[in-house]
Amino acid sequence: MRAWASNLWLLGAVVGALSLGVAKPARAYETEIDASLTAQYYALSSPWGDPQLRVRRYTETLGLAVWNIQGQDDPRGPRLSFQSRLRLDADFGQSSAERALRSPSYTPGLEQAPLDLMYAYLEGQRYLNGYLGFRLGRQYVFDTLGFWSFDGGLVTLSTPLNLVFEAYAGFEQRGGGIPYFGTRRFESQGVYRGDRYGYDAAYYPLFLDESRLAPAAGVAVEGSALGFIHTRLSYRKVINRDRVNISPFRDLGDGQYFLSGDRTSSERIGYSLRADSPRIGALNGSVVYDFYNQIFSEYAASANAYLSSRFTVGASFERYTPTFDGDSIFNWFSHSPTTSALGRADARFSRRFSATLSGGVRWFETQGDPSSYLEQPDASKTTRLYDLSLDAGARYDYGAGSFALRGGGETGQRGHRLGGDVTGRRRFSARYDGLCTLSLWDWSDGLRHDRDATSFGYVLGGGLTPGPSFFMRSRLGVELEHQMNRLVGQRFRAMLTLDLTVLK
Amino acid sequence: MKSRVDLLLLITLLSAFVAWCSSPPAWAADGVATVAQALRPPGAFADDEGPSPVVFPEQALPLRFNHQKHVKQLGVSCTTCHDAAKTSQKAADSLLPPATRCDGCHGTNHRNLAAVTTDEARPLGQCAFCHSGYDPARPNIVARVFVPKPNLRFNHQKHVVGARMSCARCHGKVEELTLATRDQLPRMRECVTCHELGSSDAGRSKTAALGAGKRRKPSGACPTCHLTEANGLLTTTFSSGKMLPPPWLNDAGHGSDFLQRHKRVAGDDSKFCASCHQERFCVGCHDGNVRPRQIHPNDFLSQHPMAARQNNPRCVSCHQQQSFCLTCHQRAGVAMSGPVGNFANRGRFHPPKSIWTDGARGPAHHAWEAQRNLNACVSCHQERDCATCHATRSVGGMGPNLGGVGQGVNPHPPGFGSRCQQALRQNARPCLTCHLQSDPELLKCR
Repeated sequence: MRAWASNLWLLGAVVGALSLGVAKPARAYETEIDASLTAQYYALSSPWGDPQLRVRRYTETLGLAVWNIQGQDDPRGPRLSFQSRLRLDADFGQSSAERALRSPSYTPGLEQAPLDLMYAYLEGQRYLNGYLGFRLGRQYVFDTLGFWSFDGGLVTLSTPLNLVFEAYAGFEQRGGGIPYFGTRRFESQGVYRGDRYGYDAAYYPLFLDESRLAPAAGVAVEGSALGFIHTRLSYRKVINRDRVNISPFRDLGDGQYFLSGDRTSSERIGYSLRADSPRIGALNGSVVYDFYNQIFSEYAASANAYLSSRFTVGASFERYTPTFDGDSIFNWFSHSPTTSALGRADARFSRRFSATLSGGVRWFETQGDPSSYLEQPDASKTTRLYDLSLDAGARYDYGAGSFALRGGGETGQRGHRLGGDVTGRRRFSARYDGLCTLSLWDWSDGLRHDRDATSFGYVLGGGLTPGPSFFMRSRLGVELEHQMNRLVGQRFRAMLTLDLTVLK
Repeated sequence: MKSRVDLLLLITLLSAFVAWCSSPPAWAADGVATVAQALRPPGAFADDEGPSPVVFPEQALPLRFNHQKHVKQLGVSCTTCHDAAKTSQKAADSLLPPATRCDGCHGTNHRNLAAVTTDEARPLGQCAFCHSGYDPARPNIVARVFVPKPNLRFNHQKHVVGARMSCARCHGKVEELTLATRDQLPRMRECVTCHELGSSDAGRSKTAALGAGKRRKPSGACPTCHLTEANGLLTTTFSSGKMLPPPWLNDAGHGSDFLQRHKRVAGDDSKFCASCHQERFCVGCHDGNVRPRQIHPNDFLSQHPMAARQNNPRCVSCHQQQSFCLTCHQRAGVAMSGPVGNFANRGRFHPPKSIWTDGARGPAHHAWEAQRNLNACVSCHQERDCATCHATRSVGGMGPNLGGVGQGVNPHPPGFGSRCQQALRQNARPCLTCHLQSDPELLKCR
């Protein structure tokens, strides 16, 4: 209780300080403050009815950005800016017993109102006659290696050969006991780390201690050539340094073992290429090699042809093998890739009406044939298990609103999932808007037919946009969602959103 | 024989589809586009509906005018009437000739627009000659010409005088037309034949030099032509609509399936995305804690186990399995490990134990599930759930070395033996979780 109350105090203090800041006379720099609040209320239960989880979530973000800190904006000159965002993600529906050590309901790592700094960095662009750029602070990196965050510095160097060199170093953003506001979202998969303060060694041994920063570094080269090719080569390595438990059964009396010392969390290199001609089409390709697992964990290619201004057709191929944090044993259970081959067609029948259809096949590989392994146990034979998939989307805009359809399905050996949502949006005036969604979904689980169901649901919502003189780009919205299926009976979800943006 | 018929049918259908795609658009019949393709601006698709109405908002031109007559028959050059094209430095400048420019030949006097005089003796001097819809009963009142300013940056002087480009290079063969409409405004697809697209890095405008003594290629950076906000991002919302990238630009057409496709575009060139999007847009989904409706369909809570089993690679692009998924599964009593209090009244999630784990490997054995989509397992299971049977040591485990009931099946994938040495060197934890240091199997990897 005290933790979230202090977080709210902190957030309130920051809001107050920022409000005072923006109340000062306008400067050469531009300030943007935005806040969003989403409140959600719903309940969910385990497949056996108990326990029931009441969700009372309040997610609040507060962003501050300052642009043109350097002074007058010159489109070709140096530019300095600062961007940050704080988030409070509270769930007041949690039972206090779920966070009480030794309680039978205790769930490791669960926090009622965690506060995290999503990003906060100072960015410089076009320094040294346009050749140098930098970022300092908590920041994201997006590339073939994924969507990732770290705390540290990044430098980019542009060269006259249309090559851009990038290097960064710092610490991976992690959650847990590290005394800074982070989330676990950007850690590699397969392990769960956190603050073990108050735990004895045998209590939840697989909730691994996280008390030391994880160094990370990477380099990238990005280039373009001939006006139609763009490529990026990226390398990144993350190190685990915590003293880590290696005894999954310590609570059952197994001896206590720890491993200390630096070791690989992940080390990967990725390459991507895009070649496109506005008059013909585009080719995309990417590949990721995982040094720890010594496999190509992902590779993909796609081709799209622009038949006309209204029609695009394409095909894509993707192969993905799960990889995990170097600390995880799941790396060595990972056998086979998931492979997808899809075709797509995108049609814009008019400025108001567009539709997309994509479909294809996805296959999984097993060592041995599941259907005959019992009689002929031959693990040397690779067998493919196929799923078919289809996705469809369409949108029609009319003067005051739009209709959108989104549907599709997947079917294969493990069951099917098929259905769609139809959404209508309408603006009633400059201030009011409304939303209605109808949905119908049907699914069957090949391994658990007791979980087969057909679901019908609807969403009703509305919004109010205050005038621009009050807040820029602001909206207050309410949504009520009602779903019906035989597994959950009736489920309601209420959502309130409030977005505020102030520009100074 | 049958396969040939099928092939012929397929070819016919494909040809019909291609022909349909390249046929004149249906809206041509509505009079929106009546100009022959050869006369339209370079870069115009045969079936496009004119330039973007967001960038070039709709105009009202209640005029009768014949460019062909003026240019080809009377020999008037473009800049005789549109002389501002040689000096204009802003897209907002009006390059329409003032009405007084017509007076010399038409015998009218537009100097005082409140009291325009005409040469009634000559048909071409009458108001109705140029102003369509003119009502003689309401003298001196004509329908207003409305040409909203384009939502662009553009310097005519640089292009016309500096680069010595002909007007036709951007506007097509206007001299063959009567009235030139919005359709004769430039297409971005032609702009990028000179403005080289490529790296979206901020510094590239300085780096596109072709070499000493040669002229620089004009920058293909978005803000060269597009309006920007104070934060440097492109302005995308206008009263005329929302500006989206065309399908041919970096393969980034924001169609209904772009959510599924955007990974390729952003993964290769995230700075291109950052031309319009702030990070808060991306993290709304990728680091978001509020379910995005455009990603997850209605009642996704009920159907997510199926979706996760069928296409798990998608889940991990936004969710960390052991914190996001497992925590909730533990709280709901779905996971194998977790709070003991949540196991009360719990049934079995997977098929019966005798089929799923203990029995011989039938079609519903867990080994196939683990091989086909391990990510789905990891969203509920922790490593001890696997090590219980598969570990070769650990007091609590049931591996064969401990006299347990594990099947003794090596969980490692084919080719593991050749990879284990380097893996052990880089991180020994997973090895030591299942193997004793003295395990002969482990020693093979040392």
